[in-house]
Amino acid sequence: MTSPHDPYRDPPKAIPLGQRLYDNWLLLLVVGILVMVLIYTGWGLWEVLTLPLSALP
Amino acid sequence: MRWIHRVCPVTGLKIDRQADLLIRAHGVAATVALLIGGIAAVLVLLTRWQAVHLLDAVWFYRILTVHGLTMLIFFILFFEMAVLYFTGPVLLNSRVPAPRVGWAAFALMVAGAVLAEWMMWTGRADVLLSSYVPLRAHPLYYLGIILFAVGALIVTFQFFASLVVAKRERTYEGSVPLITFGAATAAIIAVITLGHGAGIYIPTFLWSLGLMDVDPQIYRMVWWALGHASQQVNVAAMVSVWYLLGALTVGSVVLNEKISRTAFVLYILFISLASAHHLLVDPGFGPAWKVVNTSYFMYMAVLASMLHGFTVPAGVEVGQRLRGYTQGLFGWIRRAPWGDPGFSSLVLSVVVFGFVGGITGVTIGTEQINMIVHNTLRVPGHFHATVVSGTAMAFMGLTYYLIPLIFRKKIAFWPLAKWQPYLFAGGMLFFSIFMSFAGGFAVPRRHWDITFSNAPFDLQFSPAVDLVMGVMAVGGLVAAVGGALYILITVWSVFFGEPIREGELSNAHVRPAAGAGESATAVA
Amino acid sequence: MHTGMQSPRGVWWKPAHGSEKVWFGLAFGWSMVLFAMMPLWHWKGGQNPSGIRGKVDPAAYRARVEEFIAAYQVGMDGGFPIVEPPPGSDIYMMGQMWNWTPVLKLRKGVEYTLHLSSVDVNHGFALYPINVNFQVVPGYDYALRITPSEAGDFRVMCNEFCGIGHHMMLGRIIVVDEDGEVPGDVAASQDAGVSGEGVASAEPAGDGAGPAGGAAVAGKMAADGAGRRGQEATSGAAVRDHAAAPGAEVSR
Repeated sequence: MTSPHDPYRDPPKAIPLGQRLYDNWLLLLVVGILVMVLIYTGWGLWEVLTLPLSALP
Repeated sequence: MRWIHRVCPVTGLKIDRQADLLIRAHGVAATVALLIGGIAAVLVLLTRWQAVHLLDAVWFYRILTVHGLTMLIFFILFFEMAVLYFTGPVLLNSRVPAPRVGWAAFALMVAGAVLAEWMMWTGRADVLLSSYVPLRAHPLYYLGIILFAVGALIVTFQFFASLVVAKRERTYEGSVPLITFGAATAAIIAVITLGHGAGIYIPTFLWSLGLMDVDPQIYRMVWWALGHASQQVNVAAMVSVWYLLGALTVGSVVLNEKISRTAFVLYILFISLASAHHLLVDPGFGPAWKVVNTSYFMYMAVLASMLHGFTVPAGVEVGQRLRGYTQGLFGWIRRAPWGDPGFSSLVLSVVVFGFVGGITGVTIGTEQINMIVHNTLRVPGHFHATVVSGTAMAFMGLTYYLIPLIFRKKIAFWPLAKWQPYLFAGGMLFFSIFMSFAGGFAVPRRHWDITFSNAPFDLQFSPAVDLVMGVMAVGGLVAAVGGALYILITVWSVFFGEPIREGELSNAHVRPAAGAGESATAVA
Repeated sequence: MHTGMQSPRGVWWKPAHGSEKVWFGLAFGWSMVLFAMMPLWHWKGGQNPSGIRGKVDPAAYRARVEEFIAAYQVGMDGGFPIVEPPPGSDIYMMGQMWNWTPVLKLRKGVEYTLHLSSVDVNHGFALYPINVNFQVVPGYDYALRITPSEAGDFRVMCNEFCGIGHHMMLGRIIVVDEDGEVPGDVAASQDAGVSGEGVASAEPAGDGAGPAGGAAVAGKMAADGAGRRGQEATSGAAVRDHAAAPGAEVSR
């Protein structure tokens, strides 16, 4: 299935930004942790800690 | 025979000796955990099947604790650590960066698991998997889990280190293979989930010693970032194994790297948020937090699974067509290797995970439906379809290739092995669906006696519940037979199996489709 | 063409094949529909579990429950006080190892604010046969505005593991109708025809119910309730026409 323009064998051109980002596992790790810590854990903690005391009417 | 690495005769991969040994060790530990958890599963099943009601209440909750922790944490993480050693050092033609650290981490995991098992079996941790504070277990139970989690964290960092080493030593060109990328996804989610695990179990350990307080609602939130997100590690690892099994069994191709990797990146970003599914009817959180988190931030992780659900079968189709099965629209399906347990496991895992596990999961994870689902049997009905007939099934399928390729033994009892995936996934399918039905009748999960014989008031479920739970039990027993066959086949193959000699793999039942063949060479 | 085991070289960031693009579009569109339904149904559906929330000291909660019992107790049932609070008031139920205290006697068609909390460990409030479930967390008061829409004899299971007596933890809520009676509680009350039908249609609500889940649940509960009464029925004494099953609304 090798075509004359097999992109996997052609000499490397400029690597697109998206590909370079995906190749950077450290960046993905940091962003993954950040999203979870901000949206789930951080926001969740804020929700719990700012809960007012119930008046028990 | 001393060797530093060998070349796999099938895939042409250079297999580092330490990676080989670590994969074996983690694989054996995973199988032992599966055996313990499987025995516990049968005991739990035979108790919840009210017609048998095998265990007394104390032992039921005790064994249910054993079943949950041993299966969901020990079995699956041990196997995933083996997958990390395979997809890191082996697939990148590289080496284990720090073998001694690897063995120390393995020892930590084993020690932690043994400690926690000891506490559970001796009745000092009857708190179920979730161990909600302020239900108290022995401090050593929490310590065991902490040790295990720290060991697993070290292995994930070893995996990242192997990415660095392979890149620096130029053992591969271009980007890492898609399967390694998927494993990196699993490893990143593992860091998130194990970090939260440490973040909650260390305070809980101190609390059990009387040194500090732990808020029950905060415990539930942080604990589920371990309890649920660890199952998302499974999802990412399972999808990687799907691509791997496709490649090994029918030489399936990657249609488009960008699409498949984008799907994995969506997992990294959003899938862990699903931990909030367990907190939908909790008092501590407002609706905005619940909606954003339980939608995986706009269902982006669901989108990812739907993409994999397309690319994996499509990759199999193109692989089959490249191998010459081009007849008609469906010739590639008819001529697929249905008798190869690696392939049938792949298909069964994709189908049951997607259609039963995925759909039930998305459904019950909504604010309103969760009110009628929370803590009923519909919840375990859902996750047995994902974790058992999804993840465990895929891992079992991979084992049928790991044994000839890594342990270099032929698969014993081959005729049984052909049927094992059908038995296991088929039984699990009935088990999950009928367990969900029972949950629809409001039958609670984690409950010893739904006849309420010792309760102050009477409660009688619809008579249909007996029938539904009877079918569930039969399905579960069929799956248990499938699981027992798997353990018999793998243990027998590894310890008493016929060794595969050099260049003999063509007789080893499974005939991997990928890669160029080179004969095995022992170096040094 | 390469498998997922091989390293792609050079540029692989390339446009997807047409079929993949179509699938991506469909999947993305579906995800957006699912997501849009979440906030939409939260605002428009009127089926939210949200409730009124607050922190509470378990000791203070216990004291408040005891005060509540002392004020409105009308009898005893199975060792537990029966409490009949005035319509529209704040009512309390306390989860503890291993019971729900007190037994509540409510009036059909009247709104109450039901407070739930635990004084020891986590419990699970599971109203049967309505099948509405809430997590009851010590230190947190979870209040729900409820309007019992049918009279009947309800049970509150505990569906969160709370220790060795967990399976014995069963509470009771009695809802009386306008005449002050509980149809399901009367020994002679049965309706053989209806209960048979109830058993036949006692299927779990399908997942496909989607946003209409609430309605499906109510229907199923009707079937469950009828089925249960069918079990208890003795022959030939159809008295009431309350084939209608118990149902309740939970609203903000």
